[in-house]
Amino acid sequence: MIAAWRKLGQSPWLFAGPAVVAAVAFVWLPMVATLGLSFFDWSLLRQEGTWRGLDHYRHTLANADFHLALVNTGVYLAALLPLQVGVPLVLAFALVRVRAKATGRLYRTALFAPSVLSFPVAAVVWLWLFNPTVGFLNTLVGSLGLPPQRWLSDPDLAIWSVIVVAFWKSFGLNLLIFLAALANVPSDVIEAARLDGAGAVRQAVQIELPLISPALFFAIVTTIIVVLDEIVGAVDVLTEGGPYRTSSNLLYFLYERGFRHFQFGEAAAVAVLIAAIVATVTWMQFHFGERHVHYD
Amino acid sequence: MSAVSRRHVALAAAALAAPVILPRASLGSDVKIDLVHLFSGADHPVQRVIKAFNDKNVGVTVVSRQDGTTYETITQKAMSAIAAGRGPALMTTGWKLGDFARRTLGAQDFRQIFGPERTDALLARFRPQVRPLAAISGVPVGLPWSMSTPVLYINQALWTAAGLDPAAAPKTVEELHPMVRQLQERTGKQGLCYEVNEWLPQAFIQNAGGDVIDADGRPVMDSAAAVAGIEAFVQPRRDNLWRIMTIPEMLAAFQAGAIGVMATSSARQSVVRQAINFDLRLIQMPGLAGRPRRMNSGGNFLAVYSKAKEQQEGAYKFMEFLASREGFEIWLATGYLNVTTNDIPVRPGNEAAQAQMEAGLTSETIWPGSRGLEALTVHIDWIAKIVNGAVTVPEGLRGSRQAVEKLIAA
Repeated sequence: MIAAWRKLGQSPWLFAGPAVVAAVAFVWLPMVATLGLSFFDWSLLRQEGTWRGLDHYRHTLANADFHLALVNTGVYLAALLPLQVGVPLVLAFALVRVRAKATGRLYRTALFAPSVLSFPVAAVVWLWLFNPTVGFLNTLVGSLGLPPQRWLSDPDLAIWSVIVVAFWKSFGLNLLIFLAALANVPSDVIEAARLDGAGAVRQAVQIELPLISPALFFAIVTTIIVVLDEIVGAVDVLTEGGPYRTSSNLLYFLYERGFRHFQFGEAAAVAVLIAAIVATVTWMQFHFGERHVHYD
Repeated sequence: MSAVSRRHVALAAAALAAPVILPRASLGSDVKIDLVHLFSGADHPVQRVIKAFNDKNVGVTVVSRQDGTTYETITQKAMSAIAAGRGPALMTTGWKLGDFARRTLGAQDFRQIFGPERTDALLARFRPQVRPLAAISGVPVGLPWSMSTPVLYINQALWTAAGLDPAAAPKTVEELHPMVRQLQERTGKQGLCYEVNEWLPQAFIQNAGGDVIDADGRPVMDSAAAVAGIEAFVQPRRDNLWRIMTIPEMLAAFQAGAIGVMATSSARQSVVRQAINFDLRLIQMPGLAGRPRRMNSGGNFLAVYSKAKEQQEGAYKFMEFLASREGFEIWLATGYLNVTTNDIPVRPGNEAAQAQMEAGLTSETIWPGSRGLEALTVHIDWIAKIVNGAVTVPEGLRGSRQAVEKLIAA
């Protein structure tokens, strides 16, 4: 008996078990259930479904709003990925060169502060700034002699307004990651480069950047996830996907199907399609991006 | 046999006196019912009306549950509770969600759960013209508690500064537009703002003689009359009298004194008044020249979702109180209309909306079918396209009709 307990105590399953159970219960089973649900018209209240086969996939792929959400997701990604990775990277290089500690801390706090705000709180401020009649942005635009803009209700502008808020809200996290990575760059390497006559730009590009490439890769992967996922908060609070879906994205499309129109089967099909897209993008990142990362 | 001590006597006396001395709620014998709603604020009339009822200690305790700020949000949350067999006793249900509430959420038929006589007795406290509004396909599923109607909010300071008659109340949009133009030109402020949704355009369609969905449940929003109505709706946009904005932006700008005239729900009055420093005047929503007025209503009804008899009875007692003079007088502070037969003086500011209701209102469009809510979204999108000039009025309304037809048939 004691031997059996001792054997169990040495089993890796004892340690991995709780995590495996949690992963199965809260990740894998819901994923399988979602896949199953996507083939049915499901009534949450009656807990019964009608078999629809691939109908939900066909309808979704033929839906013009889905196409628009897909294109918009591409626009969000194309605009936010360079902004949310590039700007914090440049700022991080600048901040590590600030010699006065208090000033450096002040900059870091100010730049990171928007990241700790929730979207609804941030949105209250931004809704005032964007107001077409009494907002600060139109006062600014007016002082430049330009006509006032409808930042959130103009179909050509709404998506860019959301991008601005999403960028302002989220870039602080990447800044923190880059600052931490730059702090770990060995000072003797920098010193050696300096003695060899490398200027600040050359040090940054040829010495520090390769050394922080794992952090850069991590930031790119997480930023893509944030853009595909968390931006839905900004969309919901600022424009609700409007005007006429022009600022919607894939996840907001999914949210509307499931929780505004209560079409759970169709929402499940959209979720499966989004999962496939995210998996493909992530695979491409690892396949083509990771070879440029230096872990040593 | 053991002796009876003084302690035994005291305990027995306390046990006998408890029901008299202690309030009923503290004994834990009350039926607790949830009222799920979307009204924010600790001092909102919904909190006051619940407190007034609970203070009566009638054996039912109502618990206020604000589960969101839109009908859709509170419905999402209620769905899971209903699925688990613990549906709320009562939930404020938007008129537009009526068909969905009945078919999908399982809003209870009052005649089945309360019996025909008690149902009639409850609904008899409401004016005859509003009783049918809370019946879905002829089935009474709700208490027509909260009714609003579109009205014009006028910034009286800007209005008079523009040299307009302080008491002028244009009866038609054709009369209104020159006044708005004068206001805009003389004050430099934006003259007019309309809501971009499905509700205010419904008023224009109906006042032009059309309908969004006809009595047989068919979408008819592209009829010649409906096109004429939406043409009138978008005209101030073409004339640069109306700069389009979202509803929260419109409310903020109006409160800041940057818009002369705003068309929105009469029920927003209490919210609008909270943050203004100018005189506000509400007038009836103008109709269209040469056409009979046919304004619509909006708001919500109270539906019962619980299947437990005890909860249903608790809900009935609370609804009786809501429909009473005392209960409804508290509720009218919201800006909703007095739809009961109780003789309650009209609150200052509510006169125009109340008069509009007395003249007769139609129901808010109820979107039929299992994909009705999607149809509603699609229709709003087409209205937004029209207002933004992305399509012409006939193209947009035809597009809406075709899309809605497909969704209703699905």
